[in-house]
Amino acid sequence: MNGASPPAAAAHVRFLGSRRAYWRLQLRGAFLLLVTLGIYRFWLATDIRRFLWSNTEVAGDTLEYYGTPLELLVGFLFAIAILIPIYSLFFLAALDLGVIGQFSGLIAFVSLFWLGQYAVFRARRYRLTRTIYRGIRFHQSGAPWRYAFRATAWWGLTFLTLGLAYPFQIASLERYKLRNTHYGDLSGRFEGTGWRLFLRGLPLWLAVIIPIGLALGSLIATINFTVLGDALAENADDILSRLAPASPGLAIAVVFALAMVLVAFLFGLILYPLFQALLVRWWSSGLRFGALAVVSRLRTGQVYGAYARFIAWALLFCIALGLLIAPTMFAVDYITTRIGASPVMRELLGTAALLGGYVFAALGFSTIYRSTVIFSLWQLGMNALELSDTSQLETVKAAGTPSSAIGEGLADALHVGGL
Amino acid sequence: MTAGHGIFFDGAVSARQEAKIALGDTALHVTNPDGRLLAEWPFGEIEEVAAPDGVLRLARRNSGLLARLEIRDAALATAIDERAEAVDRSGSIHRRQRASVIAWSVAATVSLVLLGYYGVPALAERLAPLVPPEVERRLGAAVDMQVRGMLDKNNLGEGFECGARPGEPPGKAAFEKMFGRLERAAALPVPLRPSVIRREEANAIALPGGRIYVFEGLIAKAENPDEVAGVIAHELGHVANRDNTTTLLQGAGLSLLFGMVLGDFVGGGAVVLAARTLLQLSYSRDVELGADRYAARLMDKAGGEVRALGTMLERIGGATEPGAKILLDHPETKARVAAINAVAPKGTPVPFLDAAEWAAMRRICGGR
Ligand SMILES: [Zn+2]
Repeated sequence: MNGASPPAAAAHVRFLGSRRAYWRLQLRGAFLLLVTLGIYRFWLATDIRRFLWSNTEVAGDTLEYYGTPLELLVGFLFAIAILIPIYSLFFLAALDLGVIGQFSGLIAFVSLFWLGQYAVFRARRYRLTRTIYRGIRFHQSGAPWRYAFRATAWWGLTFLTLGLAYPFQIASLERYKLRNTHYGDLSGRFEGTGWRLFLRGLPLWLAVIIPIGLALGSLIATINFTVLGDALAENADDILSRLAPASPGLAIAVVFALAMVLVAFLFGLILYPLFQALLVRWWSSGLRFGALAVVSRLRTGQVYGAYARFIAWALLFCIALGLLIAPTMFAVDYITTRIGASPVMRELLGTAALLGGYVFAALGFSTIYRSTVIFSLWQLGMNALELSDTSQLETVKAAGTPSSAIGEGLADALHVGGL
Repeated sequence: MTAGHGIFFDGAVSARQEAKIALGDTALHVTNPDGRLLAEWPFGEIEEVAAPDGVLRLARRNSGLLARLEIRDAALATAIDERAEAVDRSGSIHRRQRASVIAWSVAATVSLVLLGYYGVPALAERLAPLVPPEVERRLGAAVDMQVRGMLDKNNLGEGFECGARPGEPPGKAAFEKMFGRLERAAALPVPLRPSVIRREEANAIALPGGRIYVFEGLIAKAENPDEVAGVIAHELGHVANRDNTTTLLQGAGLSLLFGMVLGDFVGGGAVVLAARTLLQLSYSRDVELGADRYAARLMDKAGGEVRALGTMLERIGGATEPGAKILLDHPETKARVAAINAVAPKGTPVPFLDAAEWAAMRRICGGR
């Protein structure tokens, strides 16, 4: 009898996890986050990773997440100890009345952004060294500070070029990340090129940018700039009433501009899943580990399906919320009159009810989003992968040591965390 | 059942090895199909690691290697579960751990909230005297710039302060006389810079570093000079108690506690905001009561009417401070007035200004 193990399914990646189990995980997590005011997040993150990793099967064997919530908690406490002096320093710098004080806001923003990128790279190292496949761990080389400089400069360029540099940014950063990613003694690399993503993404970028350009153009063409300049120079309160008579057709231009901005927004919303699909396909197809190449067959329609699922659940949740609001308000009102509460007390109870409702709704939508879009993207993205040559995966030797979770803690404290 | 099959990864190379498993008395034996021993794991050192449904994945604790043994055979898995303490197929250990995590998290949350309520203000009070005067002065200058920008809506600059325009200097002299008497009685170690500003609200504020602004609306609402003096004495109380620095430190402590440690989840921002507002309100109540007590004693020491601050507070509804006052409604003012009146004056009060000086002071901002 040799049926204890199924034959290794070569050249495929499969996701085995059930959506129902993931929903259960997220719902319980949302409730416990609320009860513990967020302290539970270290345990929830670990549970989610264990679930996603364990259910991802590569060439017949599943991944394993070996991290613990306590590591995350300790990493977070270390991160706070690092951040307190930094924040205090920024605070003192802001008190300086000279040049440093003037630019302290910008300096703080840039250095915190840099620190965030530093944290992202170190957090990735933690996650990789806690990822085990066939008894061998992944690990990451490379200097976090070097990645942070690279990423900060690229993000600046992407910002200045209104997103046009984004494909080259992500290609460059992924090259750095994958070059420094190792499965045992097998090193990764990234072969996706920025140009490829640029050419595919350009139509989407134009669809959003052209309406915004038209809006700006129509405003620039109609506004009388001499009048505007005078009004601004005088620091006048009635800029609009002085501008309108001097710029014929201003009202129509403003309406047109607003309509164009709305069009751009709608295009952005409609095209976002398409962008996500081509990004996932481009990224997955650029992954290499030694001779092992990856191709993604992800279909765009599937990604739209994931968002459609989100919209359907969100609408249902909206209806449920709407049905709950009236009885809740009635109950709060009834209770407050019943116990003869003072106006202050009544206001307090009302505010508390409102707050509770808001938190309930926000957590609800976030849970729905995670259980539909995030789950589906992982599931679809994994199932769409095809591996070219997996024979190399049989002979990888162990290498690398586990890293601390300080990077995860920093990323958490700076709100740049991923999964 | 004490034997079966599984898949073994030795932790050194990624090769997948078909393995025979035999359960001994104290250890689990893993051999390859030829009978060569691959691993021998004592039951006490076996731990269960994350795996998909239907698979039992085992590791050996503290071995330094990441060797893994995967078992799909349910009966064999159950047999191992019975022998190895840390293997937990039914999930009961896991559930117990989870329950204790939840209990500890809730306890931690409660204790952090209590820390916010009792610990942060106490800590801020201890730390405030340690802040060097130089830092406080710079802080004052930065805050002053912001406050001036906010209050001085018409960009009057120097002219925002009353007392320099025609007809105003006598009022300024009267104000300085009043302030001087209070300052001498208070004998604070910091230099003070008082001025009256062109704002219609009945209010006064003390900034870090000794700057004190009395709003012209306050003088307009007062019925006698001692009422203005009482409010100034209250502001001097804030300076003496270093309330600005304390409040700042409290704010920083709360940000740390409620911005980073607690409330980091979707929707948590609102909870954090509500908790912070409530805590800050409770702090500010203590701070105001402290400044009132100081003011009453100072008025007594300076030979003024101790109860004047109380009558002034009653008239302006307790809103001497800008900011949230929804919760600091009338009962609060009553409590404050009662606390002020509880200070027994030692002598007969001498008014701060005579009738002519008081009339001049009422015209310090152009006598509207
Ligand atoms: Zn006060």
